Amino acid sequence: MNLKSIRREFDKLTIVQLFIALFILIFFLVTPIASLLVRAFISDEGFSFKYFEITYSDPNMISPTPSLTVIQILERYKFETLPNGTRILIPLKTIYIGGVGPNFGYILNSIFVSATVMILASIIGLIAAFIMARYEFPGKNIFRVLLIIPLLATPFVNAYVIGKVLGSGGLLNYILNDVLKVTDYTIVIVGLPAVILVQTLSFFPIVYMNTLSSLINIDPSLEEQAENMGAHGFKLFRTITFPLSLPGLAAGATLVFIFSMEDLGAPIGLSGAFGDGLHTHLMSFYIYDEFRKVLSLEQVHASVYALAVTMLLIASAAFLMIKKYVSLRQYAMLSKGGRWSPRVRRPGKKGLVATYIFLVLLVIVSSFPQIGVVVLSITDWATSGILPTKLTLEHLESLVTKSDVTRAIMNSLTYSGVAVLIIVLTGTSAAYVVARRKIPGKDFLDTLATIPIAIPGIIVAVGYIVFFTLLAKTLYNTPFESIGYTFDPFVNPGLLLMFSYSVRRLPFTARAVFAGLQQTHVSLEEAAENLGASRARTFFTIVMPLIAANVISGAILSFVYSMSEVSTSVILGSRNPSQGPITFLMSQVIYASAAVGTVSIAAALGVLLMALQITAISISNYILKQRVAFLGV
Amino acid sequence: MVNVRLEKVTKKFGEVVAADNITLTIRHGEFFTFLGPSGCGKTTTLRIIAGLEYPDEGKLFFDEKDITDDPPYKRNTGMVFQNYALWPHMTVFDNIAYGLKIRKFPKEEIRKRVLEILDLVKLKGLENRYPTQLSGGQQQRVALARALVIEPAVLLLDEPLSNLDAKLRIEMREEIKRIQKKLGITTIYVTHDQEEAMVISDRIAVMNRGKIMQVDAPKDLYRRPRNLFVASFLGRCTILKGIVKEVKGDLVTLITRNLIIKGIRPSRDLSMHEGEEAVAVLRPQDFETERTRENVNEIEGTVEWISFVGPYSELRVNVDGLKVLVNVDPDFQVKIGDRIAAYISYDRTIIFPLREAETAYREEIRV
Repeated sequence: MNLKSIRREFDKLTIVQLFIALFILIFFLVTPIASLLVRAFISDEGFSFKYFEITYSDPNMISPTPSLTVIQILERYKFETLPNGTRILIPLKTIYIGGVGPNFGYILNSIFVSATVMILASIIGLIAAFIMARYEFPGKNIFRVLLIIPLLATPFVNAYVIGKVLGSGGLLNYILNDVLKVTDYTIVIVGLPAVILVQTLSFFPIVYMNTLSSLINIDPSLEEQAENMGAHGFKLFRTITFPLSLPGLAAGATLVFIFSMEDLGAPIGLSGAFGDGLHTHLMSFYIYDEFRKVLSLEQVHASVYALAVTMLLIASAAFLMIKKYVSLRQYAMLSKGGRWSPRVRRPGKKGLVATYIFLVLLVIVSSFPQIGVVVLSITDWATSGILPTKLTLEHLESLVTKSDVTRAIMNSLTYSGVAVLIIVLTGTSAAYVVARRKIPGKDFLDTLATIPIAIPGIIVAVGYIVFFTLLAKTLYNTPFESIGYTFDPFVNPGLLLMFSYSVRRLPFTARAVFAGLQQTHVSLEEAAENLGASRARTFFTIVMPLIAANVISGAILSFVYSMSEVSTSVILGSRNPSQGPITFLMSQVIYASAAVGTVSIAAALGVLLMALQITAISISNYILKQRVAFLGV
Repeated sequence: MVNVRLEKVTKKFGEVVAADNITLTIRHGEFFTFLGPSGCGKTTTLRIIAGLEYPDEGKLFFDEKDITDDPPYKRNTGMVFQNYALWPHMTVFDNIAYGLKIRKFPKEEIRKRVLEILDLVKLKGLENRYPTQLSGGQQQRVALARALVIEPAVLLLDEPLSNLDAKLRIEMREEIKRIQKKLGITTIYVTHDQEEAMVISDRIAVMNRGKIMQVDAPKDLYRRPRNLFVASFLGRCTILKGIVKEVKGDLVTLITRNLIIKGIRPSRDLSMHEGEEAVAVLRPQDFETERTRENVNEIEGTVEWISFVGPYSELRVNVDGLKVLVNVDPDFQVKIGDRIAAYISYDRTIIFPLREAETAYREEIRV
């Protein structure tokens, strides 16, 4: 590639598009994260690992004497006064899971939880995907819809619901102790096991969807050939089907690992249900909690930076490994045409029963949190005890009547709306340059536009606080003071949220546009240039109309996932609550749910988010006329 | 109308040389075809002329103007793509009008020209349809109309007929030729179908592995192949290797094993001398089973295989170990194992030196 041919690629349109994409990504993604890295490695002694040494040697972070006691059986007695005045001794028998262990310290806890969630979600997701891809049975289409219910994000509230159901006075114990009377032990699940449960239930559909799309895209003749040579049953699965579905499975599993590590929904939601406990002994919660408590950057404990960098390294390692692995495994399906009817068969009687038992149990358990959120929002369940007693519209009405709630909704709509405009501009620009121009280093742009999906939001938030505080300080008393002030996270977190949404939710649109461009033959653009249209004119009269559907559907997804964004919302939101978005308000309400009843407002907001998501997914499916594994790498 | 000149044009894609030092002049008003197997570089050469690829080395001229570095939209070529590249979001009218709008023609003029060109390609009345509502042949005509309506300096056609069925293909190639003759436009055509190239072209460049093997009028190419590639790409033939025994004017005598074959050189500028290695090219359909005239080579051998093709039967005859293909009338009575004699006239037997067997075509550059 010589200089002349490179210069030829830089027409006006390309220069503008490159500038937009690089400006947004570098200023609002690369630089903040770089600042975080600098902050973590530079102490008063210059470059050093001081913060890391302090952090890693802290027994709270990495416990030298980890507690491995998972299950405690407590048999205590307590006095109770009967109505007639006599005091009797009644037994309190409790099976207490996760109360004192496992606990390896914040860092190892995070890794332990993420790895366990990844494995569990992979097993469940793979089984569900295999059933849905390979078997035909009555009611399959209903299950197809029900299986993605857990994807509907109701941050914090879903964890709260699980806590409420599994807690000592919860529905599960009521059924076991009082209705079925199978045991007189009270079962309580808290701590890391509770986090693992909540996250597995909400993340397994990511594995399921990615694996399903891998399985559906396997050329049936590959399996038929193997059968023709005598392989069948589990051997066929192990030698052909499973290896060929690995790219999807691995991609889904990695996303689950990263999402689990950065998740704040489970620890905060479980705190709402149980109060403090081991479920908050996670890196993500530690960083969140630290920022919640401080009033200025100087007060932030340095170990926060060390933790954030640790988390970033683990997530990037996972992402890079998967990228390499998946591309190695990305077998091109060398089909030479011929019949392509999917290998779908009817299971036998036993198989059918097993299929139904698995799916029904899975659907009930995994969609329970979402159902619980709806119930919370339309009844008095939050305060009524084990079961709700009456219906009420009071909580849903508060969405429009309570001023702090409507303000949060308006904030979220504004931030997400502006973010979508930025995303469309940046995403189409980046995707077009990557898909169509031969520019050295465009792979770097491609990675930049994809990687935000793998960068924990907490890190983006911490990076923003570090970088933009520094910027404000640097510009203080210069002619650009007002710029610094505008971007000061302690003054204007709302503005920064627009950009954090723009960067974090960019991949949805960029990938959708890129896919659209790959399906559009280059000759359509060449024909326009051949007839005398400049590249800019070709882009606006030919390319944009052709990929409009992809742009719109990508934008819708970006919008929805901006509305339900958690990590940067709660951390930056806490800098100036009046600018906090929906998810920030939800976290406040749940975390402080000692003020009983406020949970219902969070639930009402959760219902609003779910309604938005269902609408968006339907519109997007209608526009693209196909199901998209919208969480794929 | 312009003539198109390529000077030492080379284009590589990684290790693959798609166009290897091509020098060539396409005359104005000419119907010129690049013919070759897939991957030979013919489409790349066409795209270089359109400006959709840029050569790594070499220059490109429209008349005397160097346009090597001009972007495609400044070249005023009209290209018809293999997949037609009709814009699905525009009607037939808008597709055709696109180039005129860019050239800022007044609305009325655009309308007039689009309707005229639709008339020319026999698509009157379909201007409000969308491309997906048209048949393959109609889409092809729209693509042609869109390229022609801007009155391009050069018309470029990239395998335009390969997506049509056999019958329509024959119909459309006549149609394209008719329109080209009527407009007198310089036309460059790319195909891998040698029959199509023969029928439609004024001149053909046969390409292989990025090199031009020979440039000639269709008949000369067929009757006077200068190298093995051209000989075997254009129709079936038997190739016999031997030593030159005698050169007398045009007539060359070749000895292969115990067979003596006389034939002519493809061109006078191709020198040959005694004792040199050379090859003879024999086309099966030039054989006769009766000696009807003077100056013929005679071969005699055993029939090894018979393929009934339809209009004729192809025999594989073993002549003392040499396999020679001979076409006979399908009613000719023969069976495997029969002895048979066949005759081919000297002027249908092409002999060229072996050193030319793989040599590519070169055009002297005018200084």
